[in-house]
Amino acid sequence: MLRSRESGAWPSRGHEGPEAVAIVESVMRWLADPAHWQGSDGIPTRLAQHLQLSGESVAIGALIALPIGIGLGHFGRFGNLAINISNVGRAVPSFGILVIAFQVFGLGDLPIVIALTALAIPPMVTNSYVALREVDPDVKDAARGMGYRRWAQLLRIELPLAVPLIMAGIRTSAVQVVATAALAALIAGGGLGRYIIDGLAQQDYTKEFAGALLVAVLALATEASLWGVEQLLVPRGIRLLQVPASRQATAFKTA
Amino acid sequence: MIRKTGSTWLTAALAVIITAAAACGGTTSPGTTSKGTITVAGFNFPESSILAELYGQALAHDGYTVNYKLLLGTREVVAPAIKSGQIDLYPGYAATELEYYNGGAGEATGDATATTAKLNSHLQSLGLEALTPSAAVDQNAFAVTKATQTKFSLTKLSDLAPIGSQLVLGAGPECPTRPFCEPGLKTTYGITFKDFKALDTDGPLTRAAFKNGTIQVGLVFSSDADLNALGLVVLQDDKHLENADNVVPIIRQTVATSEVSSVLNKIDAGLTTVDLVTLNGQVELLHQDADAVAAAYLQQHNYFS
Repeated sequence: MLRSRESGAWPSRGHEGPEAVAIVESVMRWLADPAHWQGSDGIPTRLAQHLQLSGESVAIGALIALPIGIGLGHFGRFGNLAINISNVGRAVPSFGILVIAFQVFGLGDLPIVIALTALAIPPMVTNSYVALREVDPDVKDAARGMGYRRWAQLLRIELPLAVPLIMAGIRTSAVQVVATAALAALIAGGGLGRYIIDGLAQQDYTKEFAGALLVAVLALATEASLWGVEQLLVPRGIRLLQVPASRQATAFKTA
Repeated sequence: MIRKTGSTWLTAALAVIITAAAACGGTTSPGTTSKGTITVAGFNFPESSILAELYGQALAHDGYTVNYKLLLGTREVVAPAIKSGQIDLYPGYAATELEYYNGGAGEATGDATATTAKLNSHLQSLGLEALTPSAAVDQNAFAVTKATQTKFSLTKLSDLAPIGSQLVLGAGPECPTRPFCEPGLKTTYGITFKDFKALDTDGPLTRAAFKNGTIQVGLVFSSDADLNALGLVVLQDDKHLENADNVVPIIRQTVATSEVSSVLNKIDAGLTTVDLVTLNGQVELLHQDADAVAAAYLQQHNYFS
């Protein structure tokens, strides 16, 4: 019995290999087709729409979340409240917000930006709050002792020290938003999600797969490029601190 | 045995009383002896209930005892029920019935009479029959707003050919690859649109897109309840791109006497797609009951006089 089941499983397993190769090949052919790189449904257009929707949402989210997180972290008050409220935000599904916002605001980019902004806010609030709380109290005392006023202390001492965690929050938000922006196509929006939704409706699974691949690659590229930005923003002194201990001595010497 | 006969008689009598009350509003008295019992079924959507009530109430007025099995289910439920004789009659849609009974052989066309004839060739051996198709049709259709209609003076799809390049078409994302949609409009009518907007098939996205002017032409179903309320006008499919999903009664041959057939054919001959939109609107938008809506329609069109 077992034997026959096993032997039955083999041909299908052997079959999966070539099939997977065929899918990858057809997706590569789809991506290489010049026809898919032009026009209103071309990859450049859809990519631009995707980046625009994601960029707007993360930017608006940052304008809302960062002052809240930084302020609460700096003053050290109501932190739990803010984090709990923003965690409730994480629990609400983006698709739900999308559908409700569509009912209220109708067709267009607005419902999509609202849903994605709501998704972008929580990681940025939490991370920036924690980042400010985690600044070493001794450093803050030293700053005060050297005559820094409140704003100067926040801008020149606390924020630079908090940059790595704050940037990690922005990065988390951005990657989530880029990946979720594919939902826009469900309410007739643009972006790379169009290929996924259209491919599904047209039973064109190559297109669907290519769309999913493009979204995934874009999310990874977002992660990588924001990591690059983070490296530029982190003060030299902190970067040196992150270097392995064995190399720190020489690193400090050259600094 | 006696018990069973008794209860059947009681049910039949009750059915006569109920249907008579529903059909005639208690004004005219029905025949006291029934000409036989007919079980009418409907699919699980409001339009089918309305059509089943129209058939059923007209038959009841003619002296038949009518049992209703409304909202019975999809075609996958209704068709086996009529094959096995559990039901006698249901309101079908010519092209869709044909493609169901022929196993999806793709024989349906835009010609209602030819499609029904083809359908009957498949129904024959099952002991079933499709009667004369109505002019009322529930099929894919392309609508424009009243404003667009007036601006370009449109009545039929052919009218779109010269002005298509100024208009945006909206439909489900599958439209660009389906022969009944964008490709069909191009090959059959020679219409090339300015752009295509992927929305949904006859859902809220299409309605929102009409409302904010994103699209000027959209795919709807010809008998949609809200077409009037939304100010949408269906353009006539003058070159028969769409399959003929005209309303047609599917009936068991043993039940389809000339009298029954003539009652049903009379209903279908009078019914139009515009009537269907109005009736659907009364049920779906104004939340009236299908039986009351059907009774009012039959009264108004003098089927009870």
